Amino acid sequence: MAGGDVQLKNLCKKFGDVVAVNNIDLQIASGEFFSLLGPSGCGKTTTLRMIAGFEEPTLGQILLDGVDLVHTPPHKRPLNTVFQAYMIFPHLNVYENIAFGLRRQHVSRSDIRERVGDALELVQLQALAHRKPSELSGGQQQRVALARALVLHPAVLLLDEPLGALDAKLRRQLQVELKALQKRVGITFIYVTHDQEEALTMSDRIAVMNDGIVEQVGTPREVYDEPTTEFVADFLGVSNMISADATPDGSGACRLRVGDFTLRATVGEVGSRGAVRCVVRPERVKLEPYDATGESRVPGIVEHLVYLGSATRVVVHLATGQTIQSLVQSDGMELTYGQGTAVQAYLPADAVRVLRSAGQPGVQLGSGDGDVLAGGGPGEAGHPSQQTIEGNVR
Amino acid sequence: MGGGTVSATQAPGRAVNLPPSSAQPAGPWARLRHVRWANIGLAAVVVGYLAWSLVPVLIAFVFSFNNGYSRSIWQGFSTQWWTGPNSVFNDPTYYNAIRHSFELAILAVAITVPLGVSLSIFLSRWRGVTSKPAAFLSTVPLVIPEIVLALAMFFLVTKLLHFVTLGTTAQIAGQVTFILPLVIVITRGRLASIPTGFEEAAMDLGASPLQAFRLALIPLLAPAILASAIVAFAVSIDDFVITQYMSSTAATQSVPMLIYTATRGTATPALNAMATVMALTTVVITSLGYLLYRFVSRREQVPQFAREETPTVPVLVEGTA
Repeated sequence: MAGGDVQLKNLCKKFGDVVAVNNIDLQIASGEFFSLLGPSGCGKTTTLRMIAGFEEPTLGQILLDGVDLVHTPPHKRPLNTVFQAYMIFPHLNVYENIAFGLRRQHVSRSDIRERVGDALELVQLQALAHRKPSELSGGQQQRVALARALVLHPAVLLLDEPLGALDAKLRRQLQVELKALQKRVGITFIYVTHDQEEALTMSDRIAVMNDGIVEQVGTPREVYDEPTTEFVADFLGVSNMISADATPDGSGACRLRVGDFTLRATVGEVGSRGAVRCVVRPERVKLEPYDATGESRVPGIVEHLVYLGSATRVVVHLATGQTIQSLVQSDGMELTYGQGTAVQAYLPADAVRVLRSAGQPGVQLGSGDGDVLAGGGPGEAGHPSQQTIEGNVR
Repeated sequence: MGGGTVSATQAPGRAVNLPPSSAQPAGPWARLRHVRWANIGLAAVVVGYLAWSLVPVLIAFVFSFNNGYSRSIWQGFSTQWWTGPNSVFNDPTYYNAIRHSFELAILAVAITVPLGVSLSIFLSRWRGVTSKPAAFLSTVPLVIPEIVLALAMFFLVTKLLHFVTLGTTAQIAGQVTFILPLVIVITRGRLASIPTGFEEAAMDLGASPLQAFRLALIPLLAPAILASAIVAFAVSIDDFVITQYMSSTAATQSVPMLIYTATRGTATPALNAMATVMALTTVVITSLGYLLYRFVSRREQVPQFAREETPTVPVLVEGTA
């Protein structure tokens, strides 16, 4: 399928006084598996609904292969949607559900039979063609919804948390299937999800959204390994957040004062000066004996250990008064430290990433440090926001 | 433990056994389940109520076979009020009333159902600022006493609107006025449970807004449409107050009106026969409607709007991050 190149330009949506989507610019290439990832209320579903045509943008353009769709009604847009609750018509059987769109296009009877047959085969539901939706399991309904959309050969397929209603095991299985299917049909997928694991597994690129804006766009590896904002670092995976006072040293690195200690950072916004926030992934925090010396080390006491099988999570209470998490891979050897042991936490310079702070481009103006944090993890109430170094466990 | 020794095997066994009361459902009425007289009492109320409401009807039915002119003294069995020159079907007044009642009911259904369904779709799918007050106002006639509505309509028809004359037109106008809110209430209840997603899905698949209504919404709404048709029919055929006020000549006399006036005068058991005809027809039509309703809503044993699998919050296994 040629085409399927989607471009969002200055897209805004206001509901009354609430800004749901705030000036989004995105370029989605043809054939790409693109995810909109973010917590509930971040504007990802509204964005998708605007692309589908169910919401009218307050401002901005939606270009499909260079043509603005904003004033095209949903039934005339060459894109289809897989809805979160599937919305399979309960009064029609599986076959008729899949044929629904073809009948609207006045496709001939024999072509309908052939294309519905192909679509059923694509989602492996040939045997269930004459079942009623109420006789299908959640996973089967999801496949019908997928077949019903794909049978129309859309340029772009929009998916609104299509796996959200399924149990964890089935969801994992369908993630793999969906990704394989997308490769096979070669259609652009725009996938909305709040599940970071899902987005990381399936996507070619991810746009991490928060509070109506796009925080970062990148490949799964980029957004996970090279987060540019505190929100992205916090939303994807487990992060240690450090507040520090930065001074650039002019050689592509940055000195960070944290309490009485000094760290070095060589990645991220190393040109920053003054108060900054930094992120260190737990797997990059090395724990060394207390007598280890050198820069980028902060002494602390092991607070507790959680054995996870393949790794051990060690929570260290640092001399700065804060706690930091370290993920130590199991290598068959017993750990040389236990609860109460004094250790040095080594934060290598290439593991400490200086984040873009509020007020810099890309981050909504006027959104304070605390606001960014408060919008952090889904369902994580009472988020500690004033700590200098945090271990955010999710 | 008479012997004073506690064996080691007994103690844990006793600890595991739950007291039997903990298996019973909690709640204030749970205990009543075990009281037999509560069941008997409930049965007595039900049977008593059915007898109280149905036995007089049965007696009226039986008296339509009375061999005489009395509607209270049994004078032997006869079918003279059902067939022959004295029968209800041979009396133009009676026959006309039956016909007129059905005419009114069919017209009322034909007008209120399409009108009410479109109105409720409009009210529930329209996000305008006036949709809520409009929805409220549309149900106001439900709480206005019918006699008040009838008086108002009578004034309206006789003094203000000269193009509507008393008779069938005014009767229909009156009945539609107070049946319409019933249709709206019934269909809006159903509409509230149908997510807008079905129409969106239809449009997404290429259906125009009108096709989306016809192909996605109307089939889902069918049970409510049928239910409101049954209710509209039953209410119309039973109506007395408005139909009476809006009537003109004897030609616009409905069955309830005829029964009301006839019982005051000298009525024959033919009246009982007519009442029986009405009751039976109503029962048959509503039963047919109910069967159709069951047929239309048969596929809904599984609530299609509920999710089968409980949505699970994604739990990131510790250590995989």
